[in-house]
Amino acid sequence: MSEQFEPKIVAFVCNWCTYAGADLAGTSRTKYATNVSIIRFPCTGRIDFMLLMKAFENGADGIIVSGCHPNDCHYTSGNFHARRRWIVFRSLLDFMGFDTDRITFSWVSAAEGTKWANLVDETTEKIRAKGTFTEFNKLDYSTLEKLSNDAITK
Amino acid sequence: MIGFKTAINKLPVPCFITNASQVEQLIFTPECKGNLSVYLHKIEVKQAQKVGILANVSTLRSLVQLTSENQLGAIEKTVITINAQNEVVVFTTMEEVEQYVQANFPAYTEEDIKLLEHLNSLTRTERWQYWTEQFSACVKCYACRAVCPMCYCSSCTVESNQPQWIKVSSETTGNLEWHTMRAMHLAGRCINCGECGRICPVGIPVHLLTAQMNLDIEKEFGAKTGFSCKSGYALNTFKPGDKEQFIK
Repeated sequence: MSEQFEPKIVAFVCNWCTYAGADLAGTSRTKYATNVSIIRFPCTGRIDFMLLMKAFENGADGIIVSGCHPNDCHYTSGNFHARRRWIVFRSLLDFMGFDTDRITFSWVSAAEGTKWANLVDETTEKIRAKGTFTEFNKLDYSTLEKLSNDAITK
Repeated sequence: MIGFKTAINKLPVPCFITNASQVEQLIFTPECKGNLSVYLHKIEVKQAQKVGILANVSTLRSLVQLTSENQLGAIEKTVITINAQNEVVVFTTMEEVEQYVQANFPAYTEEDIKLLEHLNSLTRTERWQYWTEQFSACVKCYACRAVCPMCYCSSCTVESNQPQWIKVSSETTGNLEWHTMRAMHLAGRCINCGECGRICPVGIPVHLLTAQMNLDIEKEFGAKTGFSCKSGYALNTFKPGDKEQFIK
């Protein structure tokens, strides 16, 4: 019997809301998918787009980015700035043909342990259906292959 | 004075003249496409007492944008251009440049719009294929960075090696990251002069990435670049009512 594919999901979350929300899910003994690795940030405003790129490069199949709801930011405006950046980043990725469905953006507050658990479950299912993220690995391989072919013809 | 002169191969190249006897060298033709405002970041130019700049459209627009980013305060400059009627126009203040740019020039060339429409009509996988094919040719010479008047940071993320954000070797993942990063850092600041795409030795249309970003930013936040000395930076600010469809 073939084992089902277990995607690797990296969650970039803010310290004040979503991390506390995930903590609440844990202390309330809510069961959710174990595929997620949580990385805690001071604020969603700190989540640089390069970190997402690096996560994919290092073998993540899907990403969750989550923080405080609008108007609830611990630093007043971090999530508003982050939101603008996400809008732009997402449209850039889409323009380059990157599968933006692999990145899930969400607002999860410290009281929403259940929402967090559901979010992780849904994302895991979605990425499981999509399968392993291979687009980056393929790139390296195809470049190498192309280079070695060029070298042979020379 | 920064302007253009004719090189040995009959093409216009940027030139710097330091006394009046050299003025004869200066030319201004439609082929003078380079964006001269990039030289205003050079230390030698900054140290000069007064700088004159014989500006074409893209130079004028980047001067406006650079002013809005508070980058030109220390330089005493005279801006000169030649308009469509072949008249010499001398600007004394940046507000005049701003008015001239607003009155005379469209934000996007038809060619750019056509290419963008074509790319946007493709499916996602086709676009991915298109861009990865383009990026696989990139040799990371960073000419797109060197030629860009908006890329003026004294230290750049690509040179950071602890951590190494962008791989040094020219392989496609690193190339993709470099171009993503460049486009993101220029989104909402790029003035669409198209120099980066024109200068690319392997012909990657990198200017399309930032052009598309600017279109999106204009659509989403109503912010335009290179048209006002007070426009600021769209990603440096926010409105509580910014709309999106994808955050759950």
